[in-house]
Amino acid sequence: MSGAIAKRILIILPAVVLAILVQSYFWVPNYDHQTRGNPQRLTQYISASIGDVAIINPILNADSASSEICEKIFDGLIDRDENLKLRGRLATDWKIYEEVYFVVNDDPVWISKGLSTPEAVKEAIERAASSPQPENSFLRNIDHLDILPPCTEERVVSEQEANEQGGEGKEIKIKVSIRYPARIKATLREVNQDFFTQLEPLLGSGYFNQKRLSPYLAIDPPVYDTPERRTAYLSQYLPVVEHNPVIIFNLRRGVRFSDGHEFDADDVRFTYESIMDPANRSPRIPDFEPVKTLEVLDKYRVKITYKRLFQPAITAWGIGILPEHLLNKESLAREARGKNLDPAEFTMRQSDFNKLRPIGTGPFTFVEWRSDQYIKLVRNENYWEGAPHYREFIWRVIPDMLTQELEFYAGATDHYEARVHQVNRLKKDSRFQNFSGLSFSYTYIGYNLRRELFQDKRVRKALTMAINIPDIIQYVLYGEGEATTGPFLKQTEFYNHEVKPLPYDPDGALQLLREAGWERDEQGFLRKGGKYFEFSIITNNGNPYREAILIIAQNAWKKLGMKVSADRVEWSVFLEKHINVGNFDAVVLGWSMGIEPDLYQIWHSSQSGNYQLNFVGYNNPQADDLILKIRQEYDEKKQIEYCHKLHEIIYDDQPYTFLYVGRWTALLDKKIAILERDDQGREIIKRITPTKTGNYSFYFNKWIKFPQDPVFSTGFE
Amino acid sequence: MFSFWAKSLVEKLITLFFISIISFSVVMLAPGDPSEIDPLNPKFTQEDIQRLRKAFDLDKPLPVQYYLFYKKLFTNELRSYKDNQPVLKKITERFLNSLPLFLVGTLLTWCLAFPLGIQAALRRQSLFDRSTTFFSYFFISLPSFFLAYVLIIFIVKVFNVPVIGLQTFGRESVSWWYLINDRIWHLVLPSVLSAIGGIAILSRYVRSQMLEVIEQDYVRTALAKGLPPDTVYYKHALRNALLPFVTMFGLTLPGLIGGSVIIESIFSWPGMGRLGYDAILARDYPLILSLNFIAACLVLVGTFISDLLYMVVDPRISLISESKG
Repeated sequence: MSGAIAKRILIILPAVVLAILVQSYFWVPNYDHQTRGNPQRLTQYISASIGDVAIINPILNADSASSEICEKIFDGLIDRDENLKLRGRLATDWKIYEEVYFVVNDDPVWISKGLSTPEAVKEAIERAASSPQPENSFLRNIDHLDILPPCTEERVVSEQEANEQGGEGKEIKIKVSIRYPARIKATLREVNQDFFTQLEPLLGSGYFNQKRLSPYLAIDPPVYDTPERRTAYLSQYLPVVEHNPVIIFNLRRGVRFSDGHEFDADDVRFTYESIMDPANRSPRIPDFEPVKTLEVLDKYRVKITYKRLFQPAITAWGIGILPEHLLNKESLAREARGKNLDPAEFTMRQSDFNKLRPIGTGPFTFVEWRSDQYIKLVRNENYWEGAPHYREFIWRVIPDMLTQELEFYAGATDHYEARVHQVNRLKKDSRFQNFSGLSFSYTYIGYNLRRELFQDKRVRKALTMAINIPDIIQYVLYGEGEATTGPFLKQTEFYNHEVKPLPYDPDGALQLLREAGWERDEQGFLRKGGKYFEFSIITNNGNPYREAILIIAQNAWKKLGMKVSADRVEWSVFLEKHINVGNFDAVVLGWSMGIEPDLYQIWHSSQSGNYQLNFVGYNNPQADDLILKIRQEYDEKKQIEYCHKLHEIIYDDQPYTFLYVGRWTALLDKKIAILERDDQGREIIKRITPTKTGNYSFYFNKWIKFPQDPVFSTGFE
Repeated sequence: MFSFWAKSLVEKLITLFFISIISFSVVMLAPGDPSEIDPLNPKFTQEDIQRLRKAFDLDKPLPVQYYLFYKKLFTNELRSYKDNQPVLKKITERFLNSLPLFLVGTLLTWCLAFPLGIQAALRRQSLFDRSTTFFSYFFISLPSFFLAYVLIIFIVKVFNVPVIGLQTFGRESVSWWYLINDRIWHLVLPSVLSAIGGIAILSRYVRSQMLEVIEQDYVRTALAKGLPPDTVYYKHALRNALLPFVTMFGLTLPGLIGGSVIIESIFSWPGMGRLGYDAILARDYPLILSLNFIAACLVLVGTFISDLLYMVVDPRISLISESKG
């Protein structure tokens, strides 16, 4: 080989390699030309997520990524509309009424009053119902009365016996025999949580006597017949009065699963039974625990009876409905045999349904799942509400936020959730459309109310007034948040906008502290009876916002003359050593919340033990009462009224310093719009507008992507 | 010649055996448990953990585990703890993803380092020489992840093109021409980035080797007798300067398995480097050990190839080994 050739090769080869590499630029798509070589890009919606899906089964998943995918593949009976009100999906409509039961009191006392036989009681109520007295008007709510004759029942209860170390011991079986006395069942047209308190004056005070029923219950073997157990069994199996709210769902007819099988009431029953089957270990059990029975009335009607009044229970029916024909015992056994596994031990959790072929009635159907890469769905052409415009829904796993951002700029994903410091800049970018809304959560500083230091309401108010919340929102959140005063979601009607936030007023705070007996000494430290105002505030590490608040609060309180130490703790240690066991003074934390106004777990005084969510130990009997009333109230107007009152009470108590609700901002490719047809079938192109609650993807199924920025129909720009 | 091969092979097998023992012990004795049997995971009961340990053979003594591991590896029965996929299948899949990146990266490194190094040597002290020196040290000292982010942000912000991943997402149905070019485009940034450091270092070596060789008497003689400079430098001098690079070339082979963890992570490239990195974090022993074993094999194969290439480039070496044999 001559030297000249070698020289030429050494120059030409790198040049050729570089040329090949660089020319490829002209063949790749970019943001403005996403369809380059690939016209189908317009029919795909590509979304990005940080984590992968765990399991595609609405009753087994427990993470937000999985439930997002499940929502596309499966439909629930109901969901929430633009205004967060419930609306029918697989159910067209539903009726809520109530069945109440009470035991007829056959004590000699009542014989003289003529109310000891069921017939007599029934007659007395019917007579009162037809009387015009206003105090008996609640009885007109009664549809009809039935007499349940005495009967007996035996139950075998298994319990874990506690051993000396406090751990779980061996399982014990207890036989409980119940002799039901005669009872009366009243069917009420509307739920009335006060029915028995209203009925008692009519029958006579003390008529509903739980203790009297003790002889009707026998526990075998007698060793286990402890007073505590007896009381518990009595209220569980033989309550003297019982509220059983009932929901009857009318199901949509003619809806088919994506494999063509028709959806009917048996699928609803099957979904419920699968959730309650302990073998499936469904994380949804608590949502359905209040259900007493589920009956299939006919092919398109199910009746659900609840054990007790619990208004939020209905929202559990937003859960995706599973196809019975693919997951029932026979199908699972067939699958197990195909895999050479023991059918007796094969459960829904092991089924390929959750990974390879989930089938539902939803707007999209499953195509494939590459773990840690993507999930691909294709539209359900026969969707009962009309097929979505997008042909494919692709859900990518991109763990890195920067990569998510870059892929969005390049047009390789359609959507990006901006981080707070980017919002200001990206909102101005004319290539994107942006949406903002309040998140379903709030951040707060909680005080351990068991500590003597925080027991005075004035002190807690002073602590709040020392903190400049607007400044936190402006400088920590770059303005992407709103102040909040209470435990309800700001975008719901349950939130009481009348509650005025405490002002930022350090002098006023000092004044309040002085009233509570705290005086500043010559060095400026607050003292009461020689003791300093000394405590620590903690939060979990890894959350920059909470860490910033930690320091701001510490600093603000130090200025008042308090001695405050601040610390960040690793998450699991934070929970195990501090929160769950009540070992903290003050804490910066946040709650994310559902839409239902049920505050039982976070605020009811019964929930303040170790490992429970009312870890600050809030205890206000008035609030407790309202919390129970709210979850038992089926009339929304009354419920809202109770919520507003509760909001007021909690804010006045200041067990938390309520800080802010975060604001999210999502960016969307500007080429996406809503396509609808008017009565004449003409296309109308609308700009995407968020619902009142900020949900911009509510009409996702009507979204369509254009090659260039769309021209909107007149009136819809 | 044959005896040299055989002897080298036996030596390498013995080395491999010891490597396998050492790497197995190091991995198994390192603290931590596979994430699948994390005792801190509250969802697991003690029985679950025991059952999993048993399923993974972790309840057996180490020598037995060692035996079982390599038996399974050679019979292709080894499965990853994480997703229960056959280990070799996983590795092959990722290997095929890493291969183009490695090939283009290596090609760029060697194609560009030589002309740059040679020119720098020939035009010693010129502006070209000084600037290549400057940029070499600049790129050697600049951390590659930093450069990667700067480049990515610049390219994406200015051109709005996708650069992350193996290919643009969702382009399965495009024609082959677009598909190939899309793949090539996605290779550009990661391969250039993984080559930059290599070019900077290698061109320095080439320069100093060339400098050494062109000072030799025979080069001066050849020039003096009137041979064209191209023939002198690119034929006679270059061939002699090549010798040390043969070893280096053999040693680039293990880079195939190690991949470049940083570049692959930044570009979300589903390659070998990330596979190994994730496996280590999850204590996925079968995967870690298999990768380790394959890497050891590649190092040995690399040195073996170097030995052979030596014989091609410098006939004296094979003569020595033959006379010994």
